[in-house]
Amino acid sequence: MKKFWALFFFFWPVVAIWSCWVAPARGWWFPTEAMSPLGERIDGLFYLILGIVTVVFIGTQFALGYVLWQSAVKGDDEKAEFSHGSHSLELIWTVVPSFVLVFIALYQMDVWAEFRVQSFYPNQTQEDGPRLELTARQFEWRVRYPEPGTELKNQPQPGDLYAVNEMHVATGRPVKFNLRTDDVQHAFFAPELRVKQDAVAGLIIPVWFEIPKAGDYDVVCAELCGWGHYKMRATIVAEPQRQVDEYLSNLQSEQNFDGVVTVDDEDE
Amino acid sequence: MLVQMNRHIATLIVAALIVSAAGCGESLNSSFVYSEQTESLMREAQKGFPAEGEVKALLGARQLIDERFGDPQSLKAWSKLPVDFGGVTGRVVETPDSSIAIKELILEFDTDVVVEEGTPLSIQFVTGSAAKGAGGPTVVEIESWSAEKGKASLSAAMSPEAAPVAGDVVVLDGGGVLQHGRGLYMRHCSHCHGTSGDGNGPTAQYLVPRPRDYRQGVFKFTSTNDQAKISRDDLHRVLKNGIPGTYMPSFVPMLNEDDKHAVVEYVRFLAMRGEFEKKIGVELSPDFSKAAVTARIEGGESTDEIVESLREFLAEDMADSLEFVSDDLASAWTTADTEDAVIIPDISRVPDTPESRRLGRELYLSKGINCADCHGIAGKGDGPQTTIFEKNPVTQQLYDTPGLHDVWDNVNQPRNLTRGIYRGGRRPIDLFRRIHAGIKGSRMPSFKIVPHEQIWHIVNYVLSIPFEVEPGHAPVVNASAEATPQASL
Repeated sequence: MKKFWALFFFFWPVVAIWSCWVAPARGWWFPTEAMSPLGERIDGLFYLILGIVTVVFIGTQFALGYVLWQSAVKGDDEKAEFSHGSHSLELIWTVVPSFVLVFIALYQMDVWAEFRVQSFYPNQTQEDGPRLELTARQFEWRVRYPEPGTELKNQPQPGDLYAVNEMHVATGRPVKFNLRTDDVQHAFFAPELRVKQDAVAGLIIPVWFEIPKAGDYDVVCAELCGWGHYKMRATIVAEPQRQVDEYLSNLQSEQNFDGVVTVDDEDE
Repeated sequence: MLVQMNRHIATLIVAALIVSAAGCGESLNSSFVYSEQTESLMREAQKGFPAEGEVKALLGARQLIDERFGDPQSLKAWSKLPVDFGGVTGRVVETPDSSIAIKELILEFDTDVVVEEGTPLSIQFVTGSAAKGAGGPTVVEIESWSAEKGKASLSAAMSPEAAPVAGDVVVLDGGGVLQHGRGLYMRHCSHCHGTSGDGNGPTAQYLVPRPRDYRQGVFKFTSTNDQAKISRDDLHRVLKNGIPGTYMPSFVPMLNEDDKHAVVEYVRFLAMRGEFEKKIGVELSPDFSKAAVTARIEGGESTDEIVESLREFLAEDMADSLEFVSDDLASAWTTADTEDAVIIPDISRVPDTPESRRLGRELYLSKGINCADCHGIAGKGDGPQTTIFEKNPVTQQLYDTPGLHDVWDNVNQPRNLTRGIYRGGRRPIDLFRRIHAGIKGSRMPSFKIVPHEQIWHIVNYVLSIPFEVEPGHAPVVNASAEATPQASL
């Protein structure tokens, strides 16, 4: 019976490792490819940490299994050893993990800084300034672009252009935008870009990302914000700058539409 | 020990099964609720009279409504209504084996029928003996469909008594759009707007402004003229853009074009149901509401006499009333989608110059138009009208709360124009239409008699209000590149 329980408890870590190992290939779960350069580096950190914890997990589970099995095969007349602990062993299992943790803390710093610390944002974003303002609201994302050719101001301006649940950004360059909320706390989450940032009432938070490949990318809300939380979806439309300009100029004429279609307009 | 553990596990599994059966099943039934007006009718007026011997049954208000609209589980497509219920109309061309049980039909449809492999198909008979089967029209499942020959093999044979003949009208996948719309509506809309579209879903009580109650058939923000209903395009726009300043969010990208179409049709269906119910109530309530009956009894009539007069009314007058009501309903909703209903200004927008804004402000303050009476001199939505006590036009009683009230009896705050949030859209044409047609159901009246040029001046002024330094003093025009005075948040 002892052997059964030793094997029983050793069986589950093996199942866990096996299922994690086959999960990506079977499509059970695993992040798909990151669609932004920073996202790739964040994935790099993810895989590094995944590697470290895998080694630790397998090591500790095998050690546990070994100990269990050793006790299971012991004869009934053998007594347990009583130990007051080993000073050197304790030192090792304290110092080694702390080195690993310090290593991770230092190693991730530049990625984190580039992601979150404004002075480390790419120079391009500093030069361009924020391209749009995204305001989260129960339960949608409202977009405000500055009038083409002008800079975004924190206060609405007469020529501003408005959209909802759809943000058009240029491909191939870092794009910064201002994130705000109208009501409660929300979180901007673009899973494919690996960007997640809370929107906090009263704050204007600059967020940036870079998308090399044109296409549509999902935005969801990642902070439970109310009963309609699941409805808060938007699309990032990444396209060449020329098309973004075209979109904005269409948006501008749409927004200035006075309902009168002259014959000339129809001919165009 | 092991046995005990097993029992534990068994209990857990059973509990999990019960939870999943109760919580996640599709077994939740929902129903349309009747309006207060219908509920206020005397019992016989609500429920009618059952058939007795030779005398045919007389339908009461509830049955008249249910007969035409059904309930959420079994919706009815009343073909009189201008609603796209979904489905393709066609005819039976031939019944190859009509002598025995029918297993095959040759059909032709008005439009090409594209069928994806594996989608279940059914046809419903609209005319002929199969349409008069017990419990309504016969619905048959199609097992396979060959588009080239127009041949449909039925999953179950039809009996010769209810056999269709050549020329019978059928509908393929009838009500598909409405069913799709119902599913989406129940998932995304009903928790605010209510199952019946009464604007009284479970979350409605937490919202200001209240979610729209469709049952009057009135929607606020339309592109159509002051007398017209909301058009399909307008409803699409609301689903796409949401209503800024309210809790109505945008439903794009969550709903695709087909989904939006289905939701729009279902909302129109609910609006028409509510309006039909209201109109039936208007026919019945003057004489047969509980209050009217009490008054009549006090006036000396006996209960039997009243019931008899109701019987007479239902038997003789109701048919005409129904026809009038339904014709009216159908034509109003049809008209809303015509080009003529849409407001198009006579002239293009007047250039947005300081002079135009000045003229706009003059009109805003003028005696004739007097926007300031409600919206306030500075456009803050705090005009003198917001402090008066109004009379309820239906009950003739004073409202408990000061301010303007809409047809849903909610206090209707005139828009604060300094905030730059425009519920019906921020395009110049949207503001133009708001002024021209008014806001339906609210106390914003139609200004269609005002010359279009003047409306444009007002639009120009209103759009400049959020950026005014002080009321009537717009900042320097075309100064977007220079420092612009900041609007207060």
